Amino acid sequence: MNRTQALVRSIISGAGPALVLIAMAAALWVMSPAFRSPTSLMLIGLEAAALGLVAAGQTFVILTGGIDLSVEAMVSFAGVIAAILIAGTNVSGGQIAGGLPSWMAIPIALSLGLLIGAGQGVLVTAFRMNPLIVTLGVRSILLGFALVLSRGSGIYIKKDDLLGFITGRFEVLGLSIPIPLILTLIIYVICWIVLKQTKFGRYVYAIGGNETAARLSGVRTNLVKLSIYAISGFLAALAGILVMGRLESGAYQNGTNLTLMSVAAVVIGGTALTGGIGGIWGTLIGVFMIRLVDAGLVYMSFPSQAKEIMIGAIIVLAVLIDTARRGQIPWLTLRLRGGDPGG
Amino acid sequence: MLATSPPEEGALLPTPVPILEMRSIDKRFPGVHALMGVSMDVLPGEVHALVGENGAGKSTLMKILAGVYVADGGEIVYKGQPYAPRTPRESRDAGIVTIYQELNLVPDLSVTENMYLGVELQRGPFLDWPAMHRRARQLLSERLHLDLDPRTSVGRLGVGQQQMVEVAKALLHEADIIIMDEPTAALSLREIADLFAIVRELKSHGVSTIFISHHLDETFELSDRTSVLRDGQHVATVATADLTKAELIKYMVGRDLASLDPKRPAPIGAEVLRVEGLTRHGVFENISFSARAGEIVGIAGLVGAGRTEVVRGIFGADPLDAGRIFIDGREVSIKSPRDAIDNGIALLTEDRKSQGLVLIFDVRENITLSILDRLSRGQLTDKARERQVAAGFIDRLAIKASSQEQLALNLSGGTQQKVVLSKWLAAEARVIIFDEPTRGIDVGAKAEIYQIMNELVAQGDTIIMVSSELPEILAMSDRVLVMQGGRLRGELSRDEASQERIMHLATVSDGENGAEPAGAAA
Repeated sequence: MNRTQALVRSIISGAGPALVLIAMAAALWVMSPAFRSPTSLMLIGLEAAALGLVAAGQTFVILTGGIDLSVEAMVSFAGVIAAILIAGTNVSGGQIAGGLPSWMAIPIALSLGLLIGAGQGVLVTAFRMNPLIVTLGVRSILLGFALVLSRGSGIYIKKDDLLGFITGRFEVLGLSIPIPLILTLIIYVICWIVLKQTKFGRYVYAIGGNETAARLSGVRTNLVKLSIYAISGFLAALAGILVMGRLESGAYQNGTNLTLMSVAAVVIGGTALTGGIGGIWGTLIGVFMIRLVDAGLVYMSFPSQAKEIMIGAIIVLAVLIDTARRGQIPWLTLRLRGGDPGG
Repeated sequence: MLATSPPEEGALLPTPVPILEMRSIDKRFPGVHALMGVSMDVLPGEVHALVGENGAGKSTLMKILAGVYVADGGEIVYKGQPYAPRTPRESRDAGIVTIYQELNLVPDLSVTENMYLGVELQRGPFLDWPAMHRRARQLLSERLHLDLDPRTSVGRLGVGQQQMVEVAKALLHEADIIIMDEPTAALSLREIADLFAIVRELKSHGVSTIFISHHLDETFELSDRTSVLRDGQHVATVATADLTKAELIKYMVGRDLASLDPKRPAPIGAEVLRVEGLTRHGVFENISFSARAGEIVGIAGLVGAGRTEVVRGIFGADPLDAGRIFIDGREVSIKSPRDAIDNGIALLTEDRKSQGLVLIFDVRENITLSILDRLSRGQLTDKARERQVAAGFIDRLAIKASSQEQLALNLSGGTQQKVVLSKWLAAEARVIIFDEPTRGIDVGAKAEIYQIMNELVAQGDTIIMVSSELPEILAMSDRVLVMQGGRLRGELSRDEASQERIMHLATVSDGENGAEPAGAAA
């Protein structure tokens, strides 16, 4: 009985969104010839990569019952830092000789992401501050730094071999698959292993389920929470490198909207905002859904100004689904129960 | 006070017309048939005890009355009219008020504000505070004999007085039926006596009370009739005067329980745990005691005496300001629950749901939570070994779960307690601290928990048991420590201990020390 229960649950939280995703893709496929081109598919994959990385980190944070609003700022910040290091200047004109090679610049930017994330973790755990406020504040600080360091405009760079490779494409069977997407999928497999096959992952779920019980069971809850903010910072910085490399420019707008989109992707993917329930593959589905909607707007000739409206609507809808899924809307559950003849 | 209204001795008169009749109530949840055609009636002005093991369906039945759930089948007739509340508010407006175990009060608001929440009196567009305060004070003093400033914020009252505020709120709504769900769980003996007086007073005014309790002593003392539910079915409704305790227990569990003296003494060995001068300022001071292998040390005292806080301090859940802890004569440093676990100390908290279990984890994940380090290969968890460990404990403690994958959420209180205990046995704890080990656990499962405690001390473990139930303390302890106002007031051997002596130590202060405030209560 409980196996069926578990199965039903996994179908609702897993396959449901997947089916919607397939339906959306099919609809676009039929309605918009432009969508069917390999280039457009490649672009969606490419766009999904950066959001996917950010949302993967966000999944960890939300699974513990927290939230990381600093991610979009981290994307911009890490991109600007890496761009300045590679360009060797923060004058917006362009690359001069004497910059660092990307194999040195990228690790520096990633380490900063990791450290700043961990710093947020310290504020949330050791100082018992509300993650919403901490990450909102750090978001502002990071955006401010990105703006100041880049003097308000993009830092242009020329890609070297490494950066060229990780933002490049991979041709197979006439399809060109963006390397960032492959990188992201690898990260997702690692995240899945961490969440489902390691004790760290179990602790993440335990903290989201009942932090007090986890602590009283001997779980070092502060260390785990600190680590997840560090992971989120690191993955956002990695996304920042990919975006910067693709645009060949580090600018403070690079991460725009990624926070809201990542939270939406996580929640659409079945992870509860209260923590403890959900998983990484749901988030991936959520990421592609959002990218399809985004692409759909373009291919259906919606004005590009409508994008913000759609993103806002998606996040509100996602939270509504999350609330309804947990049976917290009395009149909605009443109706569901009434319609179900003796579950 | 003067009792005028309806006849009290209902049992002697020709059957009075019930104020409430529930007929063939049916309720299903996913996977559970919670109520199977339950019928029950309530007479005007009677105290009706509703008893049954956890999971018997008492709460579900009451939540249908309270408008929290809607029944799938059956009908309710209330004051001669069909009654099917869809929201708690509908039920309250109809005169059926429920007082839940977790009181529904806003701690930062005053007594008056709580009582009038949602039904505020107004003069024009403004709130009429003088009138509300006056009527609140009047209600409290005349009906509840409670001299309480209605401007006090509720959070500053003790649990007993908070409950009185809930009763006052019910009276304000002119309740005809008050449902009390485990009202005495957090009350001291004195407060329980006050509550009973109030219930009798309500009865004399014709108000009916449905009284849910696991404490059979209480239901016998208070109720006119007793209804028993078992596994979602109505077993019996009997005039309490015609019932013996043994009969009632048989109705509840469907079988005879073995003796009510559960203790099997174990050989007492060397000292295992010793604490010296444990202090947390404003909460408890200078607590020193020791416990030996094979021993059950009971810690008695009133709610708020600091007992829970002391054991949380020993377990590293709360920081200590001073004091030393020794295991096997060697001083250990305990700064976190992890340190305590590594030193073989375990704590079963009084509130299993909010502190003991991850409710959305299954049985296996809860059992292995403390020992994942040991069960993992490097960082990776070893699911096969986890399964094996969990299977061992499910078997050993007779855990009633449909599978290892059943969520802790869906287990009864007794089974949940066994899962928490399995977690600690898996962690190889040698000093096991039980805080209210059988709170909210039904009669059958209680006996099993005592049985397990016997087995633990028999194999040389040490048990420290904090309990507010004196019969439990007296039955199980080899030695009883009594706390009052954050201090250790005395120690009684098993032979010396009696209800009277414990209550004396717990309530009567001696000399100037007695003036210390019991800071732990808030």
